[in-house]
Amino acid sequence: MEKVFQFRNTSISPEETNKRWKFLYENGETGFSAAVDALTFNGIDPTNKDGAAEVGTSGVPLYCIDSLFALTEDIPIDKISVALVVEPFTSAPVCSMYFNMAQMRGYDIKQLMGTTQNDILTMTVGYIPYKNSPPNHILRLACDFIEWTVAMKNVPKWHPINFTGYNYREGGIDAVQELGFVFASACSHIDNLIERGWKADEFVGRLAFHLSAHKDFFEEIAKFRAARRIWYKLMNDKYEVKDPRNLGFRFHVQTAGSSLTAQSPKINIVRTAIQALEANLGGCQSLHTNSYDEAICLPSEEAVLVALRTQQVISDETKIHNTIDPFAGSYFIEWLTDEVEDRVWKYIDKIQKAGTIDKTLSSGFLYKEMRDAFHKRRMRLESGDEIMLGVNKYPVSYDTVTDVFRTNEEAINIEIRRIEKLKARRDNAKLEKILDKLRNVCEKEENVMPVVMEATKEGATVGEVCNIYREIWGTWDPPLAI
Amino acid sequence: MSGKKIRVLMSKPGIDGHWRGGIVVSRAIRDAGMELIFGGFQNVEQIVESAIQEDVDVIGLSIHSGAHFAYTQQVIDLLKERGVLDNFMILVGGIVPAQDFSKLKEMGVANIYGPGSMTSDIVEFIKTNVKK
Repeated sequence: MEKVFQFRNTSISPEETNKRWKFLYENGETGFSAAVDALTFNGIDPTNKDGAAEVGTSGVPLYCIDSLFALTEDIPIDKISVALVVEPFTSAPVCSMYFNMAQMRGYDIKQLMGTTQNDILTMTVGYIPYKNSPPNHILRLACDFIEWTVAMKNVPKWHPINFTGYNYREGGIDAVQELGFVFASACSHIDNLIERGWKADEFVGRLAFHLSAHKDFFEEIAKFRAARRIWYKLMNDKYEVKDPRNLGFRFHVQTAGSSLTAQSPKINIVRTAIQALEANLGGCQSLHTNSYDEAICLPSEEAVLVALRTQQVISDETKIHNTIDPFAGSYFIEWLTDEVEDRVWKYIDKIQKAGTIDKTLSSGFLYKEMRDAFHKRRMRLESGDEIMLGVNKYPVSYDTVTDVFRTNEEAINIEIRRIEKLKARRDNAKLEKILDKLRNVCEKEENVMPVVMEATKEGATVGEVCNIYREIWGTWDPPLAI
Repeated sequence: MSGKKIRVLMSKPGIDGHWRGGIVVSRAIRDAGMELIFGGFQNVEQIVESAIQEDVDVIGLSIHSGAHFAYTQQVIDLLKERGVLDNFMILVGGIVPAQDFSKLKEMGVANIYGPGSMTSDIVEFIKTNVKK
């Protein structure tokens, strides 16, 4: 395994997150992940009344370039890898803020390492978007980012997209659907870039994948093995890549948050350790282990450290990494891998018959698939077919003594002051001209990245960039199925 | 109890998009023969307006962002201001720590459903306790 990643959902403010990043850096963490709050996620500034109560409550608020300076203060960003958990609607403004910050601090962005989630399905079926633009524009924004960073080699070491099967798996779909969603979506993005004139070899090596390690021990190991075969066949047979490195499927794994309980939260440490073992035996490249208080609140410091040490027990004490694919040849795992692979190909086919990934969203197809899946899982839990200890077997009441991490009610004022300071400093006339250029680019459907880089460098907020998208492309209400 | 079906508004205050819980519970409420009004993303004014216009018995607030105190208080204050607070049963579901349950109940919430709640319990609670 290459990297130890922990989701850094600490929030309150970029400054507080920065403190925890430094604490973890000193404890051996090599990758950092910034999950943003609901406002950053949806491109809404904190001055908007609708989201005011949610500033910093579910992630770190990153509304303008000054926030990125605060987030990374005193951290050698050329030595670490950062995951910016933003989706296509806000990936250009938020990541351009990171790139601009890096350049202003004297770093060469060609050397920067990191990942942008930039996943259309996370923001549409994993999570419901608030006043975002329609899916065809979202797909294009995702592809603009891949094109500008990697194909055009502006930030060639970056992972410009992370197909996050984990997030929709958490919504209740099964292992086969998880891979089906991931690969159908990946194909739509690859096809889009090939239509723009690029060759698969020029960008597929930087596409990243984030899968779940769920409850069914052997099935999950088989799923990771099947995923490697499917990727190989797609790259070799369909996209005919020439570079042998592009045939290998590299993926990050996260243990399943939806398997954890708010009841007896310390039992979650055991669940997470077993799932972490699945990921290791299945051959993941990097891993996130959930904190045991995941079902209750943002992780407390103690819970984060237990999660980190869980990984380190496996990686540093068990020696299981001395063997590659240790289950190869097992009659059961080989059979199960064949079975999972076969079912995934059939499911990919079913999705692709419904259209490209943006069309499966606008038509409501994927919403119905999700709805049916989580309804089924709910039925299994209520009937006891799927067991959750403490919930539907040996039930106990909620634990009220666990230390709950809370955000600071001052968060909104801190963020509004930050933006006010920025607006007083910046050249508003110059910025207006850049935003006009962005309107033009959106209308002509050119790559938005160069002009968004200019805009956030001059101090445009994430909300201001997204408001241009809304103005030109409109907003979209997803066809939710109940 | 009259022959009128129980009417439930399911709303998502604010902008956080963690919608699965709200959808799962909505489905269970509909399957139990109640009438479901699916509000989607609504601000506090819209929630109160829909509750009054749709003549619902129950207002369900699905909150996963940690902002449960803020949104619940705002909804209750506005219902009070309109003089209609007593017309509704208010339920809150989502990622709500157990130590917050008692404060929410003091604020006027009839019940709270955290992670791992059974939809059958929610349906049962509404049927038993709805103000008719």
